Amino acid sequence: MTPSLVFEGVWKRFRRGRGHDSLRDLIPSVMRRAIGRPAARRANDQDFWAVRDLSFEVVPGEVLGIIGGNGAGKSTTLKILNRIMEPTIGDVRTSGKIGALIEVSAGFHQDLTGRQNVFLQGAIMGMRKAEVQRKFDEIVEFSGVGEFIDTPVKRYSSGMNARLGFSIAAHLEPDILIIDEVLAVGDASFQQKAFGRIKEMATAGAPVVLVSHQLDRIVDLCTKAILLEKGAVRSTGTPLHCVNEYLHGAIGQAQSSEPTEIRFDRIFAPNGAAVRSGEDLTVMIEGVANAAGPRDSWTPVIRVTDLRTGATAHAVTGFQRDVPLPTEGEFKYRVTLQMNVVPGAYDVDVLIWDGAAHAHIIHGPAVRVEVMDRMPFYGTTQMNSRWDVISAGTSNAVPPQDVVVRWQTA
Amino acid sequence: MTSSALAANPDPPVAKRVRRSPSAARILAEVWEARDLVAQFVRRDLTIRYTQAVMGVAWAVLMPMLIVGAGVMFRIVLATLSNTHVEGTSIASIAAKALPWAFFAGALSMATQSIIGNANLIGKVYFPREALPLSTVLAQCPDLVIGLLLVTIILPFVGVGVSWSALWVVPILVLLVAFTTGVSLLLSCANLFFRDVKYIVQVVLNFGVFATPVFFEPQMLGRKGGAIMLALPLSPLIEGLDIAMVRGQSLLSTVAVSTAKGVLVVWSPWMLLYATVVSLSALLVGLRIFRGASSRFAEMA
Repeated sequence: MTPSLVFEGVWKRFRRGRGHDSLRDLIPSVMRRAIGRPAARRANDQDFWAVRDLSFEVVPGEVLGIIGGNGAGKSTTLKILNRIMEPTIGDVRTSGKIGALIEVSAGFHQDLTGRQNVFLQGAIMGMRKAEVQRKFDEIVEFSGVGEFIDTPVKRYSSGMNARLGFSIAAHLEPDILIIDEVLAVGDASFQQKAFGRIKEMATAGAPVVLVSHQLDRIVDLCTKAILLEKGAVRSTGTPLHCVNEYLHGAIGQAQSSEPTEIRFDRIFAPNGAAVRSGEDLTVMIEGVANAAGPRDSWTPVIRVTDLRTGATAHAVTGFQRDVPLPTEGEFKYRVTLQMNVVPGAYDVDVLIWDGAAHAHIIHGPAVRVEVMDRMPFYGTTQMNSRWDVISAGTSNAVPPQDVVVRWQTA
Repeated sequence: MTSSALAANPDPPVAKRVRRSPSAARILAEVWEARDLVAQFVRRDLTIRYTQAVMGVAWAVLMPMLIVGAGVMFRIVLATLSNTHVEGTSIASIAAKALPWAFFAGALSMATQSIIGNANLIGKVYFPREALPLSTVLAQCPDLVIGLLLVTIILPFVGVGVSWSALWVVPILVLLVAFTTGVSLLLSCANLFFRDVKYIVQVVLNFGVFATPVFFEPQMLGRKGGAIMLALPLSPLIEGLDIAMVRGQSLLSTVAVSTAKGVLVVWSPWMLLYATVVSLSALLVGLRIFRGASSRFAEMA
């Protein structure tokens, strides 16, 4: 049997402010209805569809990423995947045991010891007792809880709690794997370890569904993606495509209403889209302005988006750099950016900002850039530190005076 | 698909999803698959109750003893009013009958809360939901068994011999657990949909002890009253335990007691059949209804 996961025309409805949740309210209303004075019936507009017509299939070797803003229907989809909720309409077909890496210490009982909780939580997540026993040492080892394993978890720090919970989930061996984003638990070094483990599990060959706000993880891990908006599919395709759609708004839809006085045709990195942290990135922008000409309040914007967080890392306008827009004809800009940022994936795109309307009125294309580094990077900004040894004290080795130590980028 | 399609198609197709409710056998098989989980839940409950609570194991004995004490006082009052006295066997009977009642009442009041009390779990992880009320009921069993062993030890001291018919206790207990589980399944999900069910359950349990033959002998209510009392679902199980353990009679025999208004049959083999049918039906109905409702648990919890 090959494990697989199929969603077919799945809809999920929630009822807002639903009727009665106590008999004290129910009985009078039933009585009223019985003697023929029905209370005004709530209209159907109290219903809302959290998921609308969602279909997809995930087969072994595929990793499906689901992205979208808050309220897009990600959590509901996840709950339907997990069998916690049933779809109102549509079919969900799965073959194989589903395992979920989700918010992970829900089943812990505060008065039980770490050891007892490992067995309890393991069973809740669908492991057999023998399986937990076999993996027990590994789980404890991974969590780093070690000597406190026989201490009640109420004495654990919240970090220890989360680490132990994650370790249990990370030792499931499901046929189908579902991963929720809330996995960033514990301190930095544990997070690193956890993400390593998630990557290991996600690429082990089982069908995987990954829900995350960390867009670079989607790009990194997934083989395909779905972008949800208000419960419906806005876009499907490669992770890059969906992430771009998500970050840069409804390009396809907005284009028709965007002004046509100026158009960006192309943005690209002529010297390669991969740079070392702290070094220069060059991008070329090509476009055309037509005879009507752009207005004076318009200015080009270069924007750098951090795909890990979706936040803007940097944005600068032509106003600030004294670069006017052309009044007519083809144009070409070269922009050089010093990428003083943490290693990771970034999008560089170009827009037109209307200073009078205080809005981005034209969205241009984007180029994906990879910022790399040879050594781990601490902090949020690359500062290209220069270290000059002025006096070496009594140290035996005196380095040459004019060597510039370019930290990390040597 | 773009968001214009979203605006064009705000409502779903009319087609309704057809839900096939699984058979009771399927549900039982799934619960059996999750037996390790049930065992872990039971272990959790027992560990908390016995090792953490100050009372410890004494808890297992205290509740039934309170009920026995109340029953004995009640009977002394009745005997004083009618100028008779309470016999040793009556006290032994009350002790034997208080145990299944304490089990039923304890299990029910805990199980009613079992879904609500684990709401955060319900919303996050999938597992057969039946495991929650079922494990709550099973966690009450050690108390019952300890109590029955104590009564068995004490019986000879109040002049009651223990005979082989005491082995009838085993099928009675199986039926008792089945019936309690069935009712627990129903009440645990009822309490999720209607949050005041737990108060009603408490009131019914407080007075139910007088409606079942725990303090009373059925014949004390006269022929009609006694028959009605014995027809209540739990009564044959309580009465059967008394007949097998204290009176030392086989449950395949007929036991009749003479009253002022004639003879009342307090036990016949038919009652064993009745108890079996009622208990197993309660379990099956409970499983089906619970499973039918459980797909909506995550939305309610």
